[in-house]
Order: sequence, then C-alpha cells, then structure tokens
Amino acid sequence: MNDDNFYIEQFLSGKDEGFEELVRRYQDRVMNIVYSLVRRDMESEDIAQEVFLKVYRGLKHFRRQSRFSTWLYRIAVNTTYDFLRRRKGILGGDPLPDICADSPGPRDELLAGEKEKMVRLALSKVPFKFSSALVLKEVEGLSYMEIAETLGCGIGTVESRIFRARQLLKKEIIRLEG
Amino acid sequence: MTECVKIKSMLSRYLDKEISQADMASVEKHLEECLVCREELAALARIRKAIAEEGRKSLPPDYLVAILRGRIADERRADERRLLRLAGIGELSRRLIPVPAAVIILSVVFLFLSSSSSISSYSLEEHLLNGGQTTTDMALRLMLGV
Repeated sequence: MNDDNFYIEQFLSGKDEGFEELVRRYQDRVMNIVYSLVRRDMESEDIAQEVFLKVYRGLKHFRRQSRFSTWLYRIAVNTTYDFLRRRKGILGGDPLPDICADSPGPRDELLAGEKEKMVRLALSKVPFKFSSALVLKEVEGLSYMEIAETLGCGIGTVESRIFRARQLLKKEIIRLEG
Repeated sequence: MTECVKIKSMLSRYLDKEISQADMASVEKHLEECLVCREELAALARIRKAIAEEGRKSLPPDYLVAILRGRIADERRADERRLLRLAGIGELSRRLIPVPAAVIILSVVFLFLSSSSSISSYSLEEHLLNGGQTTTDMALRLMLGV
C-alpha cells in the first residue's frame, strides 16, 4: 500500500484521484475527532467536508515538515473550534451546548443509564483546549508528542491538558450521577 | 496520603504509557497496596473506554468523496465565472482605450496649434517694431489676436 506522500504527489501532479484516496483513508479518523467534540451527526459531516476542502485548497502549500496526518488533524481541530465558536456566537452562553437538540434531556439520559451518553454530556462541559487534547489521545490514540505537534504546543502542556480534562470529566460525571 | 496525591498526579500519564520506567515502577508498587488509587485508575480507564466507543463513526468508503467531488466542481465553476467576469472587464477596458488616446492626441494638437499661433503673433509685433510695412491682413490678425 502506498504512503500518504505518494497520493500527495499524485494530487500535485494534477490528478484528483490522489486527493480522493487521502479522503478515503482519513474520513473516519477525521469524523471520529470531530464527532467526539461536536456530538451531532449532520454537523460533524459538514465540518468533515470543510476539513477536506481546506486540505484540497491547501495541499499545494503543505511543506511536509510534519506528517500529513498531523497537518490534517490540526485542520480538523481548528475547523471544529471555529464551528463551535460560531455556534456559541449564534446560541450564546456555553460554547458546547449541553445536549443535542433532538436527544432527551440530561435527567432522561441519566435515567436511561447510558454511560456513554453521560460521558458525552460531561465532555461537553470541558473547555475545548482540554477536551481536544483528550479526544486526540482517547479516540485517535496519538502520543503526547503527536498531540503536541497537532495542537502546536509543548509536551508538558499536552500532559497537563489531558490530566486536567480527565479531572474535569470525572468531577462532572460525579455531579451528573449525584 | 501524601504518596496518594503524588501517585494520582501520575496516573493520567501512567494510563497513557507516557511515563518513565522509574515512575511506572513506583506507581505499580503503590497500586498494589492502595485501593483508593486503584479505583481512581479504574475510573480513568472507564472514561477512556466510553470516549473511545462514543467517538467511533464510520462512513461508507466513497461517501465523502462523492460529496466533495460535487463541491469541488461547484467551486471550479464559480472560479471560472469569476474569471470570465474579470475577462469581461478587461475586454471593456480594451475597447475604451481609444477614447483617452483620442483625447490625448487632440490635446497635443491643440497645444501645438495655439503655441504656433502665439509665435506667429509675436513675429508680427516684432515685424512692426522693426519698422516693417503693415498690410490690412496683418492689422486684422493683430486686432483679432490670431
């Protein structure tokens, strides 16, 4: 199987097939990251489309100082952040709304006893800079070094953000359970 | 208790396997003896599992590719329309070029004619001052200033 650079070269030589292969390779990973932070199917798909359109427009400027996946994940995190910021602007208040508009309320979710939904709800209370680091760790399994490259910060910062995210999550889950 | 605080601060890195061998050994040694810290680690592991499972989304292989093809084609068409509009403005500019050119040429001709006529009237005055003969035509030209 060819590596990412092969498909990047193919795209840069004018063949869109190279770009399309990169989309096939990474669409689920991008969706996993975006969905973990946004938690809405339709909006996650829209953001994933925007991410890959940015890749399409920007691939000729990609200098390959980092891996393609790192560059792609950075675009995914930044695009998601921009989306949530706009949503905050539209809705006001909490940058990450408590629940999906079409899902049951917090109390119903707890009564349903669905642990995953509760974690999702709790994650929505964690500030983006912490939750994004945690999602890259838990969903994509990136190393602290890779997360640092993706988020453009130091390893120590990544370590403390992940630690902080877990503490906040735990506190929020206890609050929801209580 | 102080040991628990220290170990708890390392549990996150321990779970992620981002910890030195020496720290890993001291965490494991402590976990063997401390139920509270074992429960803390189990809670972090449950959170990890829940986030990982909740975040899994799988799309059909060509799902996004098909959507993106359409959007890229739309963008290209929009770019082409923009270029055509710009080309239209360029064509209009090219068509209008003769107008300023004609204005410039007419201005130059006018300036040339007016300067040559002032030289001519100066020459008549000089002619009279030098005592030359005056004809009716000369007198009229002096009076009319042409």
